Amino acid sequence: MSFDQNAFLIIITAAMIAISCGLLGVFMMLRKMSMTGDAISHAVLPGIVIGFFVSGSQRGLEVIIGAGILGILATLMIDWLRRKARVQLDASIGITFTLLFAIGIILINLLAYKVDLDQECVLYGEIAYLPIDLWLTKSGLNMGPRILYLSLLNLILVTAFIILFFKELKVTSFDENFSKVIGIPAGLINLSLMSMVSYTTVSSFEAVGAILVVALLVVPPATAFLWTRKLKLLIQLTIVLGIGISIVGYYLAYLFDSSIAGMIVSVAGIAFLASALFKSKSFLSRFGTSRQPESLKKIV
Amino acid sequence: MITQVKSPILEIHDLTVSYDQSPVLWNVDLSLPSGKLIGILGPNGAGKSTLIKAIMGLVDPSGGYVKLFDKTLEEVRSRISYVPQRESVDWNFPASVLDVVMMGTYGKLGLFKRPGKKEKELSMESLEKVGMHGFANRQISELSGGQQQRVFIARSLAQNADLYLMDEPFAGVDMATETAIFELLQEMTAAGKTVIVVHHDIYSAVNYFDWFIMLNLHLVASGPKETVMTEDLLRKTYGGKLNLLTKVSDLIRQKEFNPLKN
Repeated sequence: MSFDQNAFLIIITAAMIAISCGLLGVFMMLRKMSMTGDAISHAVLPGIVIGFFVSGSQRGLEVIIGAGILGILATLMIDWLRRKARVQLDASIGITFTLLFAIGIILINLLAYKVDLDQECVLYGEIAYLPIDLWLTKSGLNMGPRILYLSLLNLILVTAFIILFFKELKVTSFDENFSKVIGIPAGLINLSLMSMVSYTTVSSFEAVGAILVVALLVVPPATAFLWTRKLKLLIQLTIVLGIGISIVGYYLAYLFDSSIAGMIVSVAGIAFLASALFKSKSFLSRFGTSRQPESLKKIV
Repeated sequence: MITQVKSPILEIHDLTVSYDQSPVLWNVDLSLPSGKLIGILGPNGAGKSTLIKAIMGLVDPSGGYVKLFDKTLEEVRSRISYVPQRESVDWNFPASVLDVVMMGTYGKLGLFKRPGKKEKELSMESLEKVGMHGFANRQISELSGGQQQRVFIARSLAQNADLYLMDEPFAGVDMATETAIFELLQEMTAAGKTVIVVHHDIYSAVNYFDWFIMLNLHLVASGPKETVMTEDLLRKTYGGKLNLLTKVSDLIRQKEFNPLKN
Protein backbone atom coordinates (compact mmCIF):
# COMPACT_ATOMS: atom_id res chain seq x y z
CA MET A 1 0.00 0.00 0.00
CA SER A 2 1.28 3.40 -0.83
CA PHE A 3 -0.15 6.75 -0.14
CA ASP A 4 1.61 9.39 -2.11
CA GLN A 5 0.57 12.58 -3.79
CA ASN A 6 -0.27 10.83 -7.07
CA ALA A 7 -2.54 8.34 -5.38
CA PHE A 8 -4.27 11.18 -3.60
CA LEU A 9 -4.78 13.14 -6.83
CA ILE A 10 -6.11 10.13 -8.71
CA ILE A 11 -8.52 9.17 -5.93
CA ILE A 12 -9.78 12.75 -5.53
CA THR A 13 -10.37 13.08 -9.27
CA ALA A 14 -12.05 9.69 -9.55
CA ALA A 15 -14.26 10.49 -6.58
CA MET A 16 -15.28 13.84 -8.07
CA ILE A 17 -16.17 12.20 -11.37
CA ALA A 18 -18.08 9.46 -9.57
CA ILE A 19 -20.02 12.04 -7.54
CA SER A 20 -20.90 14.17 -10.58
CA CYS A 21 -22.08 11.10 -12.45
CA GLY A 22 -23.92 9.76 -9.40
CA LEU A 23 -25.80 13.00 -8.77
CA LEU A 24 -27.04 13.09 -12.35
CA GLY A 25 -27.51 9.34 -12.37
CA VAL A 26 -29.97 9.48 -9.47
CA PHE A 27 -32.33 11.58 -11.51
CA MET A 28 -31.71 9.58 -14.69
CA MET A 29 -32.64 6.44 -12.78
CA LEU A 30 -35.77 8.01 -11.28
CA ARG A 31 -36.82 9.04 -14.78
CA LYS A 32 -36.17 5.50 -16.02
CA MET A 33 -33.63 6.99 -18.38
CA SER A 34 -30.44 5.32 -17.19
CA MET A 35 -29.88 3.86 -20.64
CA THR A 36 -30.35 7.26 -22.22
CA GLY A 37 -27.17 8.15 -20.31
CA ASP A 38 -25.50 5.24 -22.08
CA ALA A 39 -26.76 6.50 -25.42
CA ILE A 40 -25.52 10.02 -24.73
CA SER A 41 -22.07 8.87 -23.67
CA HIS A 42 -21.59 7.19 -27.06
CA ALA A 43 -23.51 9.67 -29.16
CA VAL A 44 -21.21 12.53 -28.19
CA LEU A 45 -18.37 11.03 -30.26
CA PRO A 46 -19.10 12.96 -33.49
CA GLY A 47 -19.37 16.13 -31.43
CA ILE A 48 -15.98 15.46 -29.86
CA VAL A 49 -14.42 14.81 -33.27
CA ILE A 50 -15.88 17.95 -34.81
CA GLY A 51 -14.94 20.01 -31.76
CA PHE A 52 -11.46 18.54 -31.88
CA PHE A 53 -11.19 19.29 -35.58
CA VAL A 54 -12.32 22.90 -35.13
CA SER A 55 -10.18 23.69 -32.09
CA GLY A 56 -7.22 21.49 -32.94
CA SER A 57 -6.90 20.14 -29.43
CA GLN A 58 -8.63 17.79 -27.04
CA ARG A 59 -8.77 20.52 -24.47
CA GLY A 60 -10.78 23.11 -26.35
CA LEU A 61 -14.09 24.45 -25.23
CA GLU A 62 -15.29 23.53 -28.71
CA VAL A 63 -15.01 19.85 -27.83
CA ILE A 64 -17.34 20.27 -24.86
CA ILE A 65 -19.77 22.40 -26.85
CA GLY A 66 -19.74 19.93 -29.74
CA ALA A 67 -20.38 17.03 -27.39
CA GLY A 68 -23.10 18.97 -25.59
CA ILE A 69 -24.91 19.66 -28.84
CA LEU A 70 -24.66 16.01 -29.89
CA GLY A 71 -25.92 14.89 -26.49
CA ILE A 72 -29.00 17.08 -26.80
CA LEU A 73 -29.44 15.93 -30.41
CA ALA A 74 -29.35 12.31 -29.26
CA THR A 75 -31.93 13.04 -26.55
CA LEU A 76 -34.22 14.78 -29.02
CA MET A 77 -33.81 12.00 -31.55
CA ILE A 78 -34.67 9.30 -29.00
CA ASP A 79 -37.67 11.29 -27.88
CA TRP A 80 -38.81 11.93 -31.44
CA LEU A 81 -38.48 8.27 -32.45
CA ARG A 82 -40.46 7.24 -29.41
CA ARG A 83 -43.27 9.79 -29.62
CA LYS A 84 -43.70 10.44 -33.31
CA ALA A 85 -42.42 7.32 -34.98
CA ARG A 86 -43.80 5.07 -32.20
CA VAL A 87 -40.58 3.14 -31.77
CA GLN A 88 -40.12 1.51 -28.37
CA LEU A 89 -37.80 3.34 -26.02
CA ASP A 90 -35.09 0.66 -25.93
CA ALA A 91 -35.10 0.36 -29.72
CA SER A 92 -34.96 4.11 -30.23
CA ILE A 93 -32.01 4.34 -27.84
CA GLY A 94 -30.24 1.54 -29.69
CA ILE A 95 -30.82 3.11 -33.10
CA THR A 96 -29.82 6.60 -32.03
CA PHE A 97 -26.56 5.99 -30.27
CA THR A 98 -25.19 3.39 -32.65
CA LEU A 99 -25.96 5.66 -35.60
CA LEU A 100 -24.30 8.69 -34.01
CA PHE A 101 -21.35 6.64 -32.78
CA ALA A 102 -20.87 5.20 -36.27
CA ILE A 103 -20.88 8.69 -37.75
CA GLY A 104 -18.23 9.57 -35.17
CA ILE A 105 -16.02 6.68 -36.26
CA ILE A 106 -16.37 7.67 -39.92
CA LEU A 107 -15.47 11.25 -39.03
CA ILE A 108 -12.38 10.09 -37.15
CA ASN A 109 -11.26 8.11 -40.20
CA LEU A 110 -11.98 10.94 -42.61
CA LEU A 111 -10.14 13.45 -40.48
CA ALA A 112 -7.52 11.02 -39.28
CA TYR A 113 -4.64 12.98 -40.76
CA LYS A 114 -5.70 16.08 -38.83
CA VAL A 115 -7.00 14.67 -35.59
CA ASP A 116 -4.97 12.87 -32.99
CA LEU A 117 -7.89 10.87 -31.67
CA ASP A 118 -9.25 7.37 -31.91
CA GLN A 119 -12.32 5.54 -30.68
CA GLU A 120 -10.35 3.72 -28.04
CA CYS A 121 -9.26 6.85 -26.24
CA VAL A 122 -12.89 7.97 -26.11
CA LEU A 123 -14.20 4.59 -25.05
CA TYR A 124 -11.63 3.66 -22.45
CA GLY A 125 -9.67 6.61 -21.08
CA GLU A 126 -6.88 6.23 -18.54
CA ILE A 127 -6.88 7.95 -15.21
CA ALA A 128 -3.41 6.68 -14.35
CA TYR A 129 -1.92 9.29 -16.73
CA LEU A 130 -3.51 12.03 -14.69
CA PRO A 131 -0.43 13.09 -12.69
CA ILE A 132 1.66 13.60 -15.83
CA ASP A 133 -1.03 15.45 -17.81
CA LEU A 134 -0.38 18.85 -16.33
CA TRP A 135 -1.96 22.23 -16.79
CA LEU A 136 0.83 24.60 -17.70
CA THR A 137 0.09 28.32 -17.90
CA LYS A 138 1.51 30.44 -20.72
CA SER A 139 4.41 31.49 -18.54
CA GLY A 140 5.13 27.83 -17.90
CA LEU A 141 3.79 27.70 -14.38
CA ASN A 142 2.77 24.21 -13.31
CA MET A 143 -0.76 24.30 -11.94
CA GLY A 144 -1.14 20.57 -11.36
CA PRO A 145 -3.10 17.87 -13.21
CA ARG A 146 -5.44 19.25 -15.87
CA ILE A 147 -8.15 16.64 -15.40
CA LEU A 148 -8.33 17.43 -11.71
CA TYR A 149 -9.47 20.95 -12.59
CA LEU A 150 -11.83 19.71 -15.28
CA SER A 151 -13.57 17.35 -12.90
CA LEU A 152 -13.66 19.95 -10.10
CA LEU A 153 -15.35 22.44 -12.43
CA ASN A 154 -17.71 19.69 -13.57
CA LEU A 155 -18.58 18.77 -9.99
CA ILE A 156 -19.27 22.40 -9.06
CA LEU A 157 -21.55 22.92 -12.06
CA VAL A 158 -23.41 19.64 -11.57
CA THR A 159 -23.92 20.35 -7.86
CA ALA A 160 -25.15 23.88 -8.59
CA PHE A 161 -27.53 22.51 -11.22
CA ILE A 162 -28.98 19.92 -8.84
CA ILE A 163 -29.35 22.39 -5.96
CA LEU A 164 -30.90 25.15 -8.06
CA PHE A 165 -33.37 22.90 -9.84
CA PHE A 166 -33.92 20.34 -7.10
CA LYS A 167 -37.64 21.02 -6.77
CA GLU A 168 -38.17 20.99 -10.54
CA LEU A 169 -36.09 17.85 -11.04
CA LYS A 170 -38.03 16.11 -8.30
CA VAL A 171 -41.50 16.92 -9.56
CA THR A 172 -40.72 16.29 -13.24
CA SER A 173 -39.12 12.95 -12.37
CA PHE A 174 -42.10 11.84 -10.32
CA ASP A 175 -45.00 13.11 -12.39
CA GLU A 176 -44.19 14.78 -15.68
CA ASN A 177 -47.77 15.58 -16.67
CA PHE A 178 -48.55 17.16 -13.33
CA SER A 179 -45.47 19.35 -13.53
CA LYS A 180 -46.52 20.52 -16.99
CA VAL A 181 -49.96 21.35 -15.65
CA ILE A 182 -48.61 23.51 -12.84
CA GLY A 183 -46.48 25.39 -15.36
CA ILE A 184 -43.04 23.85 -14.83
CA PRO A 185 -41.25 23.53 -18.20
CA ALA A 186 -40.71 19.77 -17.98
CA GLY A 187 -39.22 19.51 -21.47
CA LEU A 188 -36.65 22.20 -20.74
CA ILE A 189 -35.68 20.64 -17.41
CA ASN A 190 -35.24 17.32 -19.16
CA LEU A 191 -33.03 18.82 -21.86
CA SER A 192 -30.95 20.64 -19.24
CA LEU A 193 -30.40 17.38 -17.40
CA MET A 194 -29.36 15.68 -20.64
CA SER A 195 -26.99 18.55 -21.44
CA MET A 196 -25.39 18.17 -18.03
CA VAL A 197 -25.01 14.43 -18.67
CA SER A 198 -23.38 15.13 -22.06
CA TYR A 199 -21.04 17.69 -20.53
CA THR A 200 -20.14 15.35 -17.66
CA THR A 201 -19.47 12.52 -20.11
CA VAL A 202 -17.08 14.62 -22.15
CA SER A 203 -15.41 16.08 -19.11
CA SER A 204 -14.80 12.59 -17.77
CA PHE A 205 -14.05 10.55 -20.87
CA GLU A 206 -10.31 11.20 -20.82
CA ALA A 207 -10.11 9.90 -17.30
CA VAL A 208 -12.50 6.95 -17.28
CA GLY A 209 -13.76 6.63 -20.84
CA ALA A 210 -17.30 6.73 -22.22
CA ILE A 211 -18.20 3.16 -21.29
CA LEU A 212 -17.21 3.42 -17.66
CA VAL A 213 -18.91 6.79 -17.32
CA VAL A 214 -22.13 4.91 -17.96
CA ALA A 215 -21.37 2.59 -15.08
CA LEU A 216 -20.82 5.55 -12.78
CA LEU A 217 -24.13 7.05 -13.95
CA VAL A 218 -26.08 3.87 -13.36
CA VAL A 219 -24.51 1.66 -10.70
CA PRO A 220 -24.05 3.86 -7.58
CA PRO A 221 -27.60 5.29 -7.75
CA ALA A 222 -29.05 1.83 -8.35
CA THR A 223 -27.09 0.46 -5.38
CA ALA A 224 -28.21 3.31 -3.13
CA PHE A 225 -31.82 2.79 -4.24
CA LEU A 226 -31.66 -0.73 -2.82
CA TRP A 227 -31.02 0.75 0.60
CA THR A 228 -33.33 3.72 0.87
CA ARG A 229 -36.60 5.19 -0.35
CA LYS A 230 -35.75 8.72 0.78
CA LEU A 231 -34.54 11.05 -1.94
CA LYS A 232 -32.05 13.05 0.14
CA LEU A 233 -30.62 9.91 1.70
CA LEU A 234 -30.46 8.34 -1.75
CA ILE A 235 -28.33 11.23 -3.00
CA GLN A 236 -26.08 11.18 0.06
CA LEU A 237 -25.60 7.45 -0.19
CA THR A 238 -24.73 7.77 -3.89
CA ILE A 239 -22.05 10.33 -3.00
CA VAL A 240 -20.60 8.11 -0.27
CA LEU A 241 -20.57 5.16 -2.69
CA GLY A 242 -18.81 7.30 -5.30
CA ILE A 243 -16.04 8.13 -2.85
CA GLY A 244 -15.85 4.59 -1.49
CA ILE A 245 -15.51 2.84 -4.84
CA SER A 246 -12.83 5.33 -5.91
CA ILE A 247 -10.68 4.58 -2.87
CA VAL A 248 -11.17 0.81 -2.89
CA GLY A 249 -10.93 0.67 -6.69
CA TYR A 250 -7.66 2.57 -6.74
CA TYR A 251 -5.94 0.37 -4.18
CA LEU A 252 -7.20 -2.85 -5.74
CA ALA A 253 -5.86 -1.66 -9.10
CA TYR A 254 -2.57 -0.86 -7.38
CA LEU A 255 -2.54 -4.27 -5.79
CA PHE A 256 -3.28 -6.15 -9.01
CA ASP A 257 -1.43 -3.65 -11.19
CA SER A 258 -4.50 -3.21 -13.36
CA SER A 259 -6.76 -0.50 -14.85
CA ILE A 260 -7.94 1.93 -12.18
CA ALA A 261 -11.19 2.90 -13.90
CA GLY A 262 -11.93 -0.74 -14.63
CA MET A 263 -11.34 -1.64 -11.01
CA ILE A 264 -13.47 1.24 -9.71
CA VAL A 265 -16.39 0.10 -11.81
CA SER A 266 -15.87 -3.54 -10.87
CA VAL A 267 -15.96 -2.57 -7.21
CA ALA A 268 -19.18 -0.64 -7.87
CA GLY A 269 -20.67 -3.65 -9.59
CA ILE A 270 -19.70 -5.97 -6.74
CA ALA A 271 -21.13 -3.51 -4.20
CA PHE A 272 -24.36 -3.54 -6.16
CA LEU A 273 -24.53 -7.33 -6.36
CA ALA A 274 -23.76 -7.66 -2.67
CA SER A 275 -26.49 -5.14 -1.83
CA ALA A 276 -28.98 -6.87 -4.09
CA LEU A 277 -28.17 -10.23 -2.52
CA PHE A 278 -28.42 -8.89 1.00
CA LYS A 279 -31.62 -7.02 0.27
CA SER A 280 -33.33 -9.90 -1.45
CA LYS A 281 -32.55 -12.09 1.57
CA SER A 282 -33.83 -9.63 4.14
CA PHE A 283 -36.69 -8.79 1.80
CA LEU A 284 -37.78 -12.41 1.76
CA SER A 285 -37.61 -12.80 5.51
CA ARG A 286 -39.34 -9.50 6.15
CA PHE A 287 -42.16 -9.46 3.64
CA GLY A 288 -42.18 -12.67 1.69
CA THR A 289 -42.99 -15.21 4.31
CA SER A 290 -44.11 -13.10 7.24
CA ARG A 291 -47.08 -11.65 5.36
CA GLN A 292 -49.00 -14.03 7.55
CA PRO A 293 -48.55 -13.53 11.27
CA GLU A 294 -46.04 -15.79 13.01
CA SER A 295 -48.78 -17.70 14.80
CA LEU A 296 -50.47 -18.60 11.51
CA LYS A 297 -47.24 -19.85 10.01
CA LYS A 298 -46.88 -22.45 12.71
CA ILE A 299 -50.31 -23.86 12.02
CA VAL A 300 -49.67 -24.02 8.30
CA MET B 1 -79.26 17.24 -24.93
CA ILE B 2 -76.60 19.86 -24.35
CA THR B 3 -77.26 22.71 -21.95
CA GLN B 4 -75.07 25.74 -22.54
CA VAL B 5 -74.59 28.24 -19.73
CA LYS B 6 -73.95 31.96 -19.54
CA SER B 7 -70.54 33.13 -18.26
CA PRO B 8 -69.17 29.58 -18.07
CA ILE B 9 -66.14 28.59 -16.00
CA LEU B 10 -65.12 26.24 -18.78
CA GLU B 11 -65.99 26.54 -22.43
CA ILE B 12 -65.08 23.91 -24.97
CA HIS B 13 -65.65 24.80 -28.57
CA ASP B 14 -65.76 22.18 -31.33
CA LEU B 15 -62.93 20.22 -29.77
CA THR B 16 -61.55 17.31 -31.79
CA VAL B 17 -58.63 15.20 -30.62
CA SER B 18 -56.98 12.44 -32.62
CA TYR B 19 -54.22 9.98 -31.89
CA ASP B 20 -52.49 8.77 -35.06
CA GLN B 21 -55.14 10.17 -37.35
CA SER B 22 -57.95 8.30 -35.62
CA PRO B 23 -60.14 10.70 -33.69
CA VAL B 24 -60.84 9.89 -30.05
CA LEU B 25 -63.01 12.93 -29.46
CA TRP B 26 -65.36 14.39 -32.04
CA ASN B 27 -66.61 17.97 -32.05
CA VAL B 28 -67.14 18.33 -28.33
CA ASP B 29 -68.91 21.60 -27.69
CA LEU B 30 -70.03 22.45 -24.18
CA SER B 31 -69.96 25.02 -21.42
CA LEU B 32 -70.01 24.44 -17.68
CA PRO B 33 -71.30 26.52 -14.77
CA SER B 34 -69.16 27.32 -11.75
CA GLY B 35 -69.68 26.01 -8.24
CA LYS B 36 -70.92 22.60 -9.37
CA LEU B 37 -69.79 19.03 -8.86
CA ILE B 38 -69.62 17.76 -12.42
CA GLY B 39 -69.30 14.12 -13.44
CA ILE B 40 -67.93 12.85 -16.75
CA LEU B 41 -69.55 9.51 -17.62
CA GLY B 42 -68.93 7.16 -20.47
CA PRO B 43 -67.78 3.63 -21.33
CA ASN B 44 -64.13 2.61 -21.55
CA GLY B 45 -62.38 4.30 -24.43
CA ALA B 46 -65.03 7.00 -24.68
CA GLY B 47 -62.40 9.75 -24.45
CA LYS B 48 -63.06 10.82 -20.85
CA SER B 49 -59.41 11.07 -19.86
CA THR B 50 -58.54 12.56 -23.22
CA LEU B 51 -61.10 15.30 -22.63
CA ILE B 52 -59.47 16.16 -19.28
CA LYS B 53 -56.01 16.05 -20.83
CA ALA B 54 -57.12 18.31 -23.67
CA ILE B 55 -58.51 20.80 -21.15
CA MET B 56 -55.19 20.72 -19.28
CA GLY B 57 -53.16 21.13 -22.46
CA LEU B 58 -51.53 17.71 -22.15
CA VAL B 59 -52.75 16.59 -25.57
CA ASP B 60 -52.97 18.88 -28.58
CA PRO B 61 -56.41 19.11 -30.14
CA SER B 62 -56.60 18.76 -33.91
CA GLY B 63 -59.43 21.27 -33.90
CA GLY B 64 -61.35 23.59 -31.63
CA TYR B 65 -60.31 25.36 -28.45
CA VAL B 66 -60.75 25.40 -24.70
CA LYS B 67 -61.34 28.51 -22.61
CA LEU B 68 -61.15 28.58 -18.84
CA PHE B 69 -62.53 31.51 -16.86
CA ASP B 70 -62.96 33.08 -20.32
CA LYS B 71 -59.16 33.04 -20.74
CA THR B 72 -56.54 30.75 -22.24
CA LEU B 73 -54.98 28.03 -20.11
CA GLU B 74 -51.63 29.85 -19.82
CA GLU B 75 -53.25 32.86 -18.17
CA VAL B 76 -55.11 30.91 -15.50
CA ARG B 77 -52.83 27.94 -14.77
CA SER B 78 -52.55 28.72 -11.08
CA ARG B 79 -56.35 28.58 -10.68
CA ILE B 80 -56.64 25.05 -12.04
CA SER B 81 -55.76 21.81 -10.36
CA TYR B 82 -55.34 18.37 -11.84
CA VAL B 83 -55.51 14.88 -10.36
CA PRO B 84 -54.03 12.39 -12.84
CA GLN B 85 -54.81 8.68 -12.78
CA ARG B 86 -52.97 6.91 -10.02
CA GLU B 87 -51.28 4.49 -12.43
CA SER B 88 -49.68 7.34 -14.34
CA VAL B 89 -46.74 7.49 -11.91
CA ASP B 90 -44.31 5.03 -10.34
CA TRP B 91 -45.09 4.86 -6.63
CA ASN B 92 -41.64 3.42 -5.93
CA PHE B 93 -40.37 6.96 -6.27
CA PRO B 94 -38.32 7.95 -3.20
CA ALA B 95 -40.60 10.53 -1.59
CA SER B 96 -42.67 10.88 1.53
CA VAL B 97 -46.40 11.56 1.50
CA LEU B 98 -45.72 15.14 2.57
CA ASP B 99 -43.15 15.58 -0.24
CA VAL B 100 -45.73 14.62 -2.85
CA VAL B 101 -48.45 16.85 -1.40
CA MET B 102 -46.00 19.76 -1.25
CA MET B 103 -45.54 19.42 -5.01
CA GLY B 104 -48.99 20.96 -5.25
CA THR B 105 -47.51 24.23 -3.99
CA TYR B 106 -44.63 24.29 -6.50
CA GLY B 107 -46.62 26.01 -9.23
CA LYS B 108 -47.15 29.15 -7.18
CA LEU B 109 -43.59 29.11 -5.77
CA GLY B 110 -41.79 29.79 -9.02
CA LEU B 111 -38.24 28.94 -10.02
CA PHE B 112 -35.42 28.53 -7.47
CA LYS B 113 -37.70 28.99 -4.44
CA ARG B 114 -37.94 26.19 -1.92
CA PRO B 115 -41.20 25.37 -0.15
CA GLY B 116 -41.17 26.78 3.38
CA LYS B 117 -43.28 26.74 6.51
CA LYS B 118 -46.36 28.18 4.85
CA GLU B 119 -46.34 25.52 2.13
CA LYS B 120 -45.82 22.81 4.72
CA GLU B 121 -48.81 23.98 6.75
CA LEU B 122 -50.99 24.15 3.65
CA SER B 123 -49.92 20.63 2.71
CA MET B 124 -50.66 19.30 6.21
CA GLU B 125 -54.13 20.88 6.08
CA SER B 126 -54.75 19.23 2.72
CA LEU B 127 -53.65 15.89 4.12
CA GLU B 128 -55.98 16.34 7.06
CA LYS B 129 -58.92 16.95 4.70
CA VAL B 130 -58.40 13.55 3.08
CA GLY B 131 -57.69 11.89 6.43
CA MET B 132 -54.04 11.16 5.69
CA HIS B 133 -52.27 13.51 8.11
CA GLY B 134 -51.12 10.52 10.17
CA PHE B 135 -49.16 9.31 7.12
CA ALA B 136 -47.28 12.54 6.35
CA ASN B 137 -43.83 11.03 6.89
CA ARG B 138 -44.61 7.63 5.37
CA GLN B 139 -42.82 6.75 2.14
CA ILE B 140 -45.25 6.64 -0.77
CA SER B 141 -44.04 3.17 -1.76
CA GLU B 142 -45.62 1.86 1.45
CA LEU B 143 -49.16 3.08 0.70
CA SER B 144 -52.17 1.12 -0.46
CA GLY B 145 -53.90 2.07 -3.70
CA GLY B 146 -56.67 4.00 -1.97
CA GLN B 147 -54.15 5.87 0.15
CA GLN B 148 -52.15 6.79 -2.94
CA GLN B 149 -55.31 8.15 -4.49
CA ARG B 150 -55.96 10.27 -1.40
CA VAL B 151 -52.40 11.62 -1.53
CA PHE B 152 -53.06 12.74 -5.11
CA ILE B 153 -56.26 14.46 -4.04
CA ALA B 154 -54.42 16.15 -1.15
CA ARG B 155 -51.77 17.35 -3.60
CA SER B 156 -54.43 18.98 -5.75
CA LEU B 157 -56.04 20.56 -2.67
CA ALA B 158 -52.64 22.07 -1.80
CA GLN B 159 -52.77 23.86 -5.15
CA ASN B 160 -55.58 25.99 -3.72
CA ALA B 161 -57.27 26.27 -7.10
CA ASP B 162 -60.76 27.31 -8.24
CA LEU B 163 -61.30 24.56 -10.77
CA TYR B 164 -60.40 20.92 -10.09
CA LEU B 165 -60.14 18.25 -12.77
CA MET B 166 -59.88 14.71 -11.45
CA ASP B 167 -59.25 11.64 -13.58
CA GLU B 168 -60.82 8.58 -11.93
CA PRO B 169 -60.02 9.65 -8.36
CA PHE B 170 -62.16 6.86 -6.94
CA ALA B 171 -60.44 3.95 -8.67
CA GLY B 172 -59.36 1.50 -5.97
CA VAL B 173 -60.81 3.55 -3.14
CA ASP B 174 -62.96 1.79 -0.56
CA MET B 175 -66.57 2.85 0.00
CA ALA B 176 -66.04 4.68 3.29
CA THR B 177 -63.25 6.73 1.72
CA GLU B 178 -65.28 7.34 -1.43
CA THR B 179 -68.14 8.74 0.62
CA ALA B 180 -65.78 10.89 2.68
CA ILE B 181 -64.10 12.28 -0.43
CA PHE B 182 -67.44 12.96 -2.13
CA GLU B 183 -68.52 14.89 0.95
CA LEU B 184 -65.27 16.86 0.79
CA LEU B 185 -65.90 17.64 -2.88
CA GLN B 186 -69.43 18.76 -2.07
CA GLU B 187 -68.08 21.08 0.63
CA MET B 188 -65.68 22.53 -1.90
CA THR B 189 -68.41 23.19 -4.46
CA ALA B 190 -70.56 24.74 -1.74
CA ALA B 191 -67.64 27.12 -1.14
CA GLY B 192 -67.75 28.14 -4.82
CA LYS B 193 -65.10 25.81 -6.28
CA THR B 194 -65.86 23.79 -9.37
CA VAL B 195 -64.95 20.12 -9.46
CA ILE B 196 -64.99 17.97 -12.60
CA VAL B 197 -64.58 14.25 -12.03
CA VAL B 198 -64.16 11.37 -14.45
CA HIS B 199 -66.24 8.65 -12.87
CA HIS B 200 -67.22 5.15 -13.87
CA ASP B 201 -69.77 4.16 -11.24
CA ILE B 202 -73.21 5.36 -12.28
CA TYR B 203 -74.77 4.33 -8.98
CA SER B 204 -72.73 6.65 -6.81
CA ALA B 205 -72.66 9.26 -9.58
CA VAL B 206 -76.43 9.72 -9.38
CA ASN B 207 -76.13 10.42 -5.68
CA TYR B 208 -73.42 13.00 -5.69
CA PHE B 209 -73.08 14.94 -8.93
CA ASP B 210 -75.06 18.08 -9.84
CA TRP B 211 -74.19 18.09 -13.50
CA PHE B 212 -73.25 15.40 -16.00
CA ILE B 213 -71.19 15.22 -19.13
CA MET B 214 -71.92 12.03 -21.06
CA LEU B 215 -69.34 11.04 -23.55
CA ASN B 216 -68.90 8.37 -26.15
CA LEU B 217 -66.33 9.71 -28.62
CA HIS B 218 -68.78 12.50 -29.30
CA LEU B 219 -70.70 14.44 -26.70
CA VAL B 220 -74.00 12.76 -25.85
CA ALA B 221 -75.20 15.11 -23.17
CA SER B 222 -74.13 17.91 -20.87
CA GLY B 223 -76.54 19.38 -18.38
CA PRO B 224 -77.99 19.36 -14.88
CA LYS B 225 -78.71 15.96 -13.37
CA GLU B 226 -82.49 16.29 -13.64
CA THR B 227 -82.45 16.86 -17.39
CA VAL B 228 -79.79 14.39 -18.53
CA MET B 229 -80.14 11.36 -16.22
CA THR B 230 -82.54 9.62 -18.56
CA GLU B 231 -82.61 6.08 -19.86
CA ASP B 232 -82.47 7.32 -23.42
CA LEU B 233 -79.30 9.35 -22.94
CA LEU B 234 -77.61 6.63 -20.88
CA ARG B 235 -78.43 4.13 -23.63
CA LYS B 236 -76.85 6.45 -26.17
CA THR B 237 -73.78 6.82 -23.98
CA TYR B 238 -73.22 3.21 -23.09
CA GLY B 239 -74.51 1.64 -26.31
CA GLY B 240 -75.67 -1.93 -26.09
CA LYS B 241 -74.64 -2.83 -22.57
CA LEU B 242 -78.21 -3.75 -21.70
CA ASN B 243 -77.62 -5.51 -18.45
CA LEU B 244 -76.06 -2.43 -17.00
CA LEU B 245 -78.73 -0.21 -18.48
CA THR B 246 -81.62 -2.15 -17.04
CA LYS B 247 -80.07 -1.73 -13.65
CA VAL B 248 -79.61 1.97 -14.24
CA SER B 249 -83.12 2.57 -15.43
CA ASP B 250 -84.38 0.72 -12.37
CA LEU B 251 -82.29 3.07 -10.40
CA ILE B 252 -83.78 6.09 -12.04
CA ARG B 253 -87.34 4.83 -11.63
CA GLN B 254 -87.01 4.34 -7.90
CA LYS B 255 -85.97 7.84 -7.03
CA GLU B 256 -85.58 6.97 -3.41
CA PHE B 257 -83.29 4.10 -4.26
CA ASN B 258 -80.36 3.88 -1.94
CA PRO B 259 -77.39 1.92 -3.24
CA LEU B 260 -76.16 -0.68 -0.82
CA LYS B 261 -73.05 1.26 -0.11
CA ASN B 262 -74.86 4.10 1.70
